[in-house]
Amino acid sequence: MRKVLGITLGGLQKKTITLVLLMLLIMLAAFVGVSAYQNKMLIHVVGETRIDQQQAISQVSEETMHEMLEGALVTSTTLRANLEDSEFSEIINNVYMLQTMAQGLLESRNSFDPLQAAPPDPAIDGTPSAMVLCEEGVDYTQSEYLGIIAHMSSAMIAMQGNSDKIDACYIGLADGTDLCVDEKAANKFDENGTLIPFPVRERPWYTGAIEADGLYFTGIERDAFSKRLMVTCSIPVKLNGETVGVAGLDIVLASMADFARADTAQGSCAYVINDRAQVILGPEANGIFEVSDQASDLHCMGNDELSRFVDQALRESTGLKTITIGDKPYYMVGAPMPTIGWAVISVVDKEITEQPKHLMLSEYNKINDEASGKFSDGTARTRGTSLIILALVVIIGLCAALIAARRIVNPIEQMTKNIVRSSQTGELFKMEECYRTDDEIELLAEAFDDLSKKAKRYIGEITEITAEKERISTELSLATKIQAAMMPHIFPAFPERSEFDIYASMDPAKEVGGDFYDFFLVDEDHLCMVIADVSGKGIPAALFMMASKIILQSCAMLGQSPADILAKTNEAICSNNQEEMFVTVWLGILEISTGKLTAANAGHEYPVLKKASGSFELLKDKHGLVIGAMDGMRYKEYELQMEPGAKLFVYTDGVPEATNGDKELFGVERMLTALNGSPDTGPKKILENVRSAVDDFVKDAEQFDDITMLCMEYKGKDGR
Amino acid sequence: MEITKNVQDNTATLFLAGRLDTMTAPELERELQDILPNAKDLVLDFEQLEYISSAGLRVLLSAQKIMSKQGRMRITHVNETIMEIFEVTGFVDILTIE
Repeated sequence: MRKVLGITLGGLQKKTITLVLLMLLIMLAAFVGVSAYQNKMLIHVVGETRIDQQQAISQVSEETMHEMLEGALVTSTTLRANLEDSEFSEIINNVYMLQTMAQGLLESRNSFDPLQAAPPDPAIDGTPSAMVLCEEGVDYTQSEYLGIIAHMSSAMIAMQGNSDKIDACYIGLADGTDLCVDEKAANKFDENGTLIPFPVRERPWYTGAIEADGLYFTGIERDAFSKRLMVTCSIPVKLNGETVGVAGLDIVLASMADFARADTAQGSCAYVINDRAQVILGPEANGIFEVSDQASDLHCMGNDELSRFVDQALRESTGLKTITIGDKPYYMVGAPMPTIGWAVISVVDKEITEQPKHLMLSEYNKINDEASGKFSDGTARTRGTSLIILALVVIIGLCAALIAARRIVNPIEQMTKNIVRSSQTGELFKMEECYRTDDEIELLAEAFDDLSKKAKRYIGEITEITAEKERISTELSLATKIQAAMMPHIFPAFPERSEFDIYASMDPAKEVGGDFYDFFLVDEDHLCMVIADVSGKGIPAALFMMASKIILQSCAMLGQSPADILAKTNEAICSNNQEEMFVTVWLGILEISTGKLTAANAGHEYPVLKKASGSFELLKDKHGLVIGAMDGMRYKEYELQMEPGAKLFVYTDGVPEATNGDKELFGVERMLTALNGSPDTGPKKILENVRSAVDDFVKDAEQFDDITMLCMEYKGKDGR
Repeated sequence: MEITKNVQDNTATLFLAGRLDTMTAPELERELQDILPNAKDLVLDFEQLEYISSAGLRVLLSAQKIMSKQGRMRITHVNETIMEIFEVTGFVDILTIE
């Protein structure tokens, strides 16, 4: 781990700092997230509230305007319809009056002299006057009724002068003459000063009245002379049931149009429509419907909504309706003019009624935007402050983490250093003041202190034990050597004796064994051979074996028979055998000169004998009890005659009881087979053969028991 | 090795099964130490015993010596292998084998 400015890179310090940093970042992220969410929610709520409020303003404003308009407009329209109706009634009355006057004069024509009627006189232009107009080619002086009608001149002048709505009044006669009253004598002439002919019987008011056979209103027509737009109200004049002429009144539309003018300024305008749904009167400018002689009726605008509205207006008061013309919505109110069957329609551009709403909304939005702006500024300022505070928190947190980490790591570093030093120098790890942190580090240090002391003690103990083991091992190996040296171990054992050859071996399972063999010359002609097996193994067996061997040899050297030697030895051993150990012994004495073998067996394995020209065979000899078992035992001995070439093989139970990995015993049969593999070789080779057969059988299994063998070949007195 | 015992007053019967060798002989020795002080008639049943080593023989010898003084010890159902060991070691002469 690298150190920079006293901070260890990596290790606990880095981990602690990383942890704190991570926690800080998570807190930061959570804070920013919550703030952003709150901000978003606030903006959302403000936005929604704004929309709700705008809708409320719109709705309230619209409803208020609607109610206000409905009240005002319906009343004013109805009022206007009634007003207009009465105006038109007056005109109608005037027309009826003309008709009555004309018919009255014509019926009593014989009572009057015809008056001389005159054509227009341009000199009196501007003053209302009666003038004669006639069709081309008609001589008005020949007219039968014109002179009579002329009596009406002053009445007609009065009528025309009394009403500012009546532009002209006239009586057209069926003979093509016409008595006309107006103040525009000059316009009856063309630019050349020629009187313009007047096609009386072709004019719409004339034909219309004839056709209607009663009161008739023309559509909007242009005056034949002034070319001004006007409507004519006409009615046939009859004499004795026959139509002789038509009385008419010109109503100048311009004269009635001022009623609409004032309203136009307030955003509403009124129209008068006739029973054919033609617009008769309307504002001169800014109107949605044109007033002209070309105007077709409102049904022809291709607007069903409007058509229905107009039809209703001609029938009854419609109330406030919203009608869309083009793409623009309009409030409309219609009211019928009952006398003449026409209607008044008031139209208000909906946009104008919505102006207050728009004003309120824009004011509201302005206030709202200002508030939003202030809120945004405030948020931005708060955000800045928050970021600075957060940065401070992170920096302070990191510093605190750094200090905390150092406080944690320092004692650990110190401890590590001391532990490494004590492991190198073998010094004891000592508890120091800097480990007194009152936490796990202190516990760790105490544990190390304890461990260090225990380790030192254990090392001491182990050293002692090892030394002790070493000593025992040395002693045991020395014992092994002593034991081995106690038995004849130099071969050939009797190089000067050619009569026999002897070989023996002892392989203890442990360092020292309980088996032993022995052979020695009792005298020049007697060879004593012993093989024995002490019960048990190891050092106790080895000690017992040493005692047994010495006692046996001592007894044998007294020159006694094998049975006596065993009995004596048994007595000696039993006299002081607290542990009740015993030893099996086979002892044989060969008379070298004769080959006579005398032997006794104290509980030992059967010897194996090979006759001069035979194979190795087990000799089931007589057995006595093992030596050391029971005091006062007697042993039986037996004799064998060994011919030159005969061999004796004795062994301990380690041979037949050698065990392989499958817990199988080597057994006497395998031993005999091994012996008979090459029975004619020397004793040394025979022992080697048996040993290798045992090894092949046992393989890697552990050797449990001592393996001891002795083989003697008798070669005869002279040797071979 | 398994040892099953049946003790009634001063008559005890031990049933031995398996191998009685260096490893298992101490086990039998401990059992006998408990039983022997009060035993007048000790029977060792060898029906299930497969093998006996010199260590086992030593335990039998000790028991025999003690029982000779205070009563009797019998060994029953001895199989051929073990009988041969008794014969080879001469233990047939000192043990009561039935």
